[in-house]
Amino acid sequence: MAVVKLEDVGKLYGGVRAVRDVNITVEDGEFMVLLGPSGCGKSTTLRMIAGLETISEGELTIDGRRMNEVPARDRDIAMVFQSYALYPHMSVRDNLGFGLKRRQKDRALVARRVAEVAEAIGLTPYLDRKPHALSGGQRQRVALGRAIVRDPKVFLFDEPLSNLDAALRVSTRAELVRLHRELGATMIYVTHDQVEAMTMGDRVCIMDHGEVAQIGTPMEVYLNPANTFVAAFLGNPPMNLMPATAAEGALRTGTGQAPIAGLSPGRRVTLGVRPEDLAVTDDPARALVSGRVTQVEALGAETLIHVATGDEKPVILRSGRAAQARLDETLHLAADPAALRLFDIETGRAISREM
Amino acid sequence: MARSDRARLSPAALRMTALLLLIALYTAYSAGPFVWVAMMSLRTTTEIAASPYGLPWPAHPEKFAAAWFDSNYDTYFANSVGIVLAAVAILTVVGAMAAHAFARYRFRFKGLIYFVIFSTIIFPPQVTVIGLFQTMVEFGLYNSRVGLVLVYVAIQLPITIYILEAFFARIPRDLFEAARIDGYGEWAIFWRISMPVALPAISTTVILNTILLWNEFLYAVVLITDDDKRTLPLGVLRFLGDQLEDVGMIATGLMIAIVPVVLIYVFFSERLIQGMTAGAVK
Ligand SMILES: Nc1ncnc2c1ncn2[C@@H]1O[C@H](COP(=O)(O)OP(=O)(O)O)[C@@H](O)[C@H]1O
Ligand SMILES: [Mg+2]
Repeated sequence: MAVVKLEDVGKLYGGVRAVRDVNITVEDGEFMVLLGPSGCGKSTTLRMIAGLETISEGELTIDGRRMNEVPARDRDIAMVFQSYALYPHMSVRDNLGFGLKRRQKDRALVARRVAEVAEAIGLTPYLDRKPHALSGGQRQRVALGRAIVRDPKVFLFDEPLSNLDAALRVSTRAELVRLHRELGATMIYVTHDQVEAMTMGDRVCIMDHGEVAQIGTPMEVYLNPANTFVAAFLGNPPMNLMPATAAEGALRTGTGQAPIAGLSPGRRVTLGVRPEDLAVTDDPARALVSGRVTQVEALGAETLIHVATGDEKPVILRSGRAAQARLDETLHLAADPAALRLFDIETGRAISREM
Repeated sequence: MARSDRARLSPAALRMTALLLLIALYTAYSAGPFVWVAMMSLRTTTEIAASPYGLPWPAHPEKFAAAWFDSNYDTYFANSVGIVLAAVAILTVVGAMAAHAFARYRFRFKGLIYFVIFSTIIFPPQVTVIGLFQTMVEFGLYNSRVGLVLVYVAIQLPITIYILEAFFARIPRDLFEAARIDGYGEWAIFWRISMPVALPAISTTVILNTILLWNEFLYAVVLITDDDKRTLPLGVLRFLGDQLEDVGMIATGLMIAIVPVVLIYVFFSERLIQGMTAGAVK
């Protein structure tokens, strides 16, 4: 049973801070996803937890025990690498048993455990093969099996699915979720793929430029982004963001308005609305924004309609496949005021709607 | 019939014939001296003097026994085997450790140390041998097989490190990190990951060093004086007098020295080429 806690953790490379002020508590048995664009410090954070990088600042504890100075091998963690890092000169059997042999001197026990795990993840027919004689999916399984065999306190994953083709990625995703449920182990999973994050994580920690932008359940971070970075990172297409100005009892965009009160008149904010929360209306007076259709993307299940409103970026509306929009037609788009999100125009932080 | 005759003279076939001819010529050119020495090794000096290029008929295979038992070649052979095995073993282990360290760790003065090791490559052996001679005398290692082993290690170490380092540097870092997480320390990682994964490069250096040192003459002739400590390449000295050169026996001795090298080539040349051209681990 393991609670992983990072307190004010930071990482300096030379004088450069790659990760700063990270505070995360991963509960026992939780599946925590670290999500963010490339270079935001996800791997560095994970590698500090693994003991592969020193921790420059702050404290890491596992089950309350300080881990900063504990070498990787004594942290009781297992890691699945993006490259799988299988030992090329060893058979699948030896790859699976390598870590266990270090701790468990009884060879019969090791062999039994390896056989058991191989059976569970379908590797039994390949036990005597070398990694180079396996397909990408099979290699990925070996990497996974190698972690499972050791029955560690914490599993760490660094983009383990990114080398698989799309179909395999989807099925492996489901399998990882099942595995997590069966083992009940604490898992920390790094990815830049928001679909993986949304579908797998109990909670998601979104990182931006070495800092934690937001931690929450997938739905929480999707529905209530803590700042414009999260709003613009999650969702495909992401949340529409546009400048707006508060007026008496309303919030005005360039081409429409929304009945939102409580902001001091004249205050400028960033208004956010998800593409699926917008709908076409016939009544220009109810419109949040209006504009000319510049692009219609019929994706089959849904249709994305781009509307130029005079702001920097077009507003995107997600509608059903029945949507009939013509190019250059003028559309008025409305949204339920409850679906609107407000952000400070300077800091990008979410403004509470409970004022 | 006529059609197939004409097909045989197609441009492709002509090119093939020309190529085969060229290869045959080159083979004769490079194998010629070897065949000549092989023939002389079975003939007496008198026969050779009468007809240098004559065929070995009647053959005198007993010359090999004479060299082996009467001219101390059994001792030379044992010395060569012992000295080369010891030197190659030390070279491989020390070279691999150094390569591992250069490829994997960052440490102070790494660049300088690297430079110092490799700068020795530019000196021709004729330059270093005099200084080495002096050093060996002072350390009581002159005229000793241990001394020769150490010298062999010293002269071959830079190139060994160079070849291995290039290979070790291409082993993905993840592999070492996975082993660390699997619970292994640096020492175990070197023996259980670095060494086996680098096996193609290691066998290259082993074969290369074995052949080079097996044939080494200059350092051996300067640093060894006792007949009983000589290696095979020095065996010819036995048949070189002030007045007389026993060409026939020299050829026999050469064959005894060369055959192991040829065998190594025959069995390992593929491996050698593989190791030198192989990419790192996928
Ligand atoms: N060994 C290193 N030395 C210097 N900078 C590094 C090193 N490793 C990572 N970085 C930097 O730290 C930042 C975070 O990297 P990383 O954690 O790998 O990002 P991510 O995994 O989110 O893509 C990047 O800007 C990267 O350039
Ligand atoms: Mg990364």
